[in-house]
Amino acid sequence: MLHGYGGHILRVDLTTGHTRREKTDPSFMLDVIGGRGLNSTRLYNELPRDVDPLSPDNMLLIGVGPLTGSLLSASAYMTISGKSPMTGILGDSAAGGFMGPEIKQAGYDQIVMTGCCEKPCYLFIADDHVEIRDASHLWGLDIWQTTAAIRKQLNDNAVQIAAIGPAGENLVKYATVACNNSRMFGRSGMGCLFGSKQLKAVAVRGRGTVNLADPPGFLALCRQMDQRIMAHPEYAQRNALGSTLLMKALNGIGILPTNHFQKGLCSYVDRISGETLADQYKVKNKACFNCNVHCSRYYISAEVEGEGPEFETLCSYTSRIGNDDLGFALKMTSFLNRMGMDSLSSGETIGWAMECVQRGLLNKEDFDGLDFSWGNCRTIENLLGMIAHRQGIGDAFAEGTRSLAARYGKGTDEYAFHVKGLDMICGDPRGIKAFGLTYAIASRGADHLRAEPFFELTERYDEAEKRWGIREIADRLADRGKAVLVEHTERQALLTDCLTMCKNIGLSMDILDFDFASRLLIAGTGLKFSPEKVTEALNGVIERDRRINIDFGVTADQDTLPRRFTQEPLEAGASKGQVVPVERMVKEYYQLKGWDGKGVPRD
Amino acid sequence: MITLEIEKCSGCSRCEVNCTFFHSGRIGRSAARIKVVKIEALGIDYPVVCQQCRERYCTRCPENAIEIGALGQVIVSPTLCTACGTCETMCPIGAIELFEEIPRVCDLCGGDPRCVKACTLDAIHYEADAGDKVSLKVFKKDSRNLAPEEKRHRYALASAKELRDQWVVERRG
Repeated sequence: MLHGYGGHILRVDLTTGHTRREKTDPSFMLDVIGGRGLNSTRLYNELPRDVDPLSPDNMLLIGVGPLTGSLLSASAYMTISGKSPMTGILGDSAAGGFMGPEIKQAGYDQIVMTGCCEKPCYLFIADDHVEIRDASHLWGLDIWQTTAAIRKQLNDNAVQIAAIGPAGENLVKYATVACNNSRMFGRSGMGCLFGSKQLKAVAVRGRGTVNLADPPGFLALCRQMDQRIMAHPEYAQRNALGSTLLMKALNGIGILPTNHFQKGLCSYVDRISGETLADQYKVKNKACFNCNVHCSRYYISAEVEGEGPEFETLCSYTSRIGNDDLGFALKMTSFLNRMGMDSLSSGETIGWAMECVQRGLLNKEDFDGLDFSWGNCRTIENLLGMIAHRQGIGDAFAEGTRSLAARYGKGTDEYAFHVKGLDMICGDPRGIKAFGLTYAIASRGADHLRAEPFFELTERYDEAEKRWGIREIADRLADRGKAVLVEHTERQALLTDCLTMCKNIGLSMDILDFDFASRLLIAGTGLKFSPEKVTEALNGVIERDRRINIDFGVTADQDTLPRRFTQEPLEAGASKGQVVPVERMVKEYYQLKGWDGKGVPRD
Repeated sequence: MITLEIEKCSGCSRCEVNCTFFHSGRIGRSAARIKVVKIEALGIDYPVVCQQCRERYCTRCPENAIEIGALGQVIVSPTLCTACGTCETMCPIGAIELFEEIPRVCDLCGGDPRCVKACTLDAIHYEADAGDKVSLKVFKKDSRNLAPEEKRHRYALASAKELRDQWVVERRG
């Protein structure tokens, strides 16, 4: 009997309506663990490389891990993967909430969808009952309405739903999928992939239970981890503010993206900070499944209410685009969540347009008369509606910043801040060098979570010396040794995505190491997940991800950052004068991976 | 009995997870005797658990398989119970539900409830008395034909209304 795992892989052909349950193969799982590792290995093994991301032949995968939904703190995550419509390379996005544990309780480790429905549909899974249902009546509804309508139709409030909104239906390239209304699978356009298959939602009800191999042993390990979390020096602040604590923290070190990364200091940060959000709008803490940090928040403003926002959304809709009105940012957050659009990518298109107008490269006439001066709320609000429905210039904006700049020309690509087509996250890499390297080499494009090398912000010099023999690793401004850190935390990040667990806890709070993960996996699954085996599996996934991306056309010259971050020093604040020596760092990273000078794994 | 400070609850469901694990060594919500209702659109999270109500609707068991223990907890006799589901139907708030033919209901873990220990927000408490303080009469009406999940949802919505109104006044005036 399989322990820890749900036990089945569900295959669904949306074209024929044919569904098949396969037994999960433990020997295969030993090589991939689960979650993102399982998903990307499936793509590596089965996906035709030249597939058009929007064609029925693209695969859409939902994966959970052996410890998802367990006693392990924050074992809430699931990963959605496929060839990204946004970037044309490996695409995946993970989120917490309650959907992942529900899939596990329904008895599945992965849902593999191919094909395309003839008309709008949703997939309904209730344990071993699988059904493709008509969703014509749901098409056009926003994510919150869709979730409510499906629950009402099934007469069950506890059914977990991952749904898209109008943006996904209209194939906005950075459309999101959401579960629990506000838990966003935000990056790389997985909502667009849903839309291309006419798949409005996946609804799951799992009434089963899962056995663990060594329940008392597993319990003891989880208790140990709980104690480490509760005793963590950042616990109180993370509990009160969650990721929004980064607004003031990043401003303090001079890397809070302001007016589209022209500055790393925001003069009005106190009006848009996590502290202000908590003080003026928060009503209580929220949490993902089985988390003891409870870092999320429920807010009520004059116009809207909901869960969130997280730092990336908050910054994308405040300082990054010159907006000092927090209430307005919340209104936009709510709109993005309902429509199902990524805040980072949509925010980058706005920042790009505003900087291009500031520099006189483009003007009102280029944008259907919309005035893109910094922080113009009217423009932002109008534009988001136009993007979601692909009206007017919204149609071009819906393609993402890379295509947008190519379409407008006139040198505007200089200000399109993306890597491999995926827009930059918030966190100016010039003052956090390991993050700079991470954005450059991340398998899905400009992304911090692929390695989240938070350690460089900790100033734990002695610990850096102890672990890696390089003190500078704990110095955010140093570039020496950062490839070593990223090579390490990239595996750690993947580990959290495979188990599954939250990166904020596993990685940023530095709670999960490979030895401990090995013990958790052995107690949970009973399989021979030695520390060496875990490391080998993780390395295997990272190498396959690189190989599939090379097949998709990724080359070494794309492992870089937009010019601003490598050439233009920050002008003020605690990271003044800094740029990222990205070329040198990437080379060092290749060497550590044992890849050749062109970033190709050796046979 | 188990009492709540609902304004502190984040909906994390650690109470559920630890309940299931303590009672069965497994994972999965169905085996839990406390179940968290989540109403995302209103920000409501509400753990529903046996209130040891004054009416003791579940004791109207045709097999006399249910009795009340010294702590006020509901005790189901595994030998007398035929899994007929009367207790599930009778409970107005969905706090007793059959899973694998066994009625799952809070037994207070013998006086040391694991849900209380598991809650890191101090939202769940244990008051050592024999219960019978709470009346669920108001929820009994029209509850007979509802599934346990619907009954929990209805109960949570009504019970969290005051808190929700308070938030709206606080933030919107």
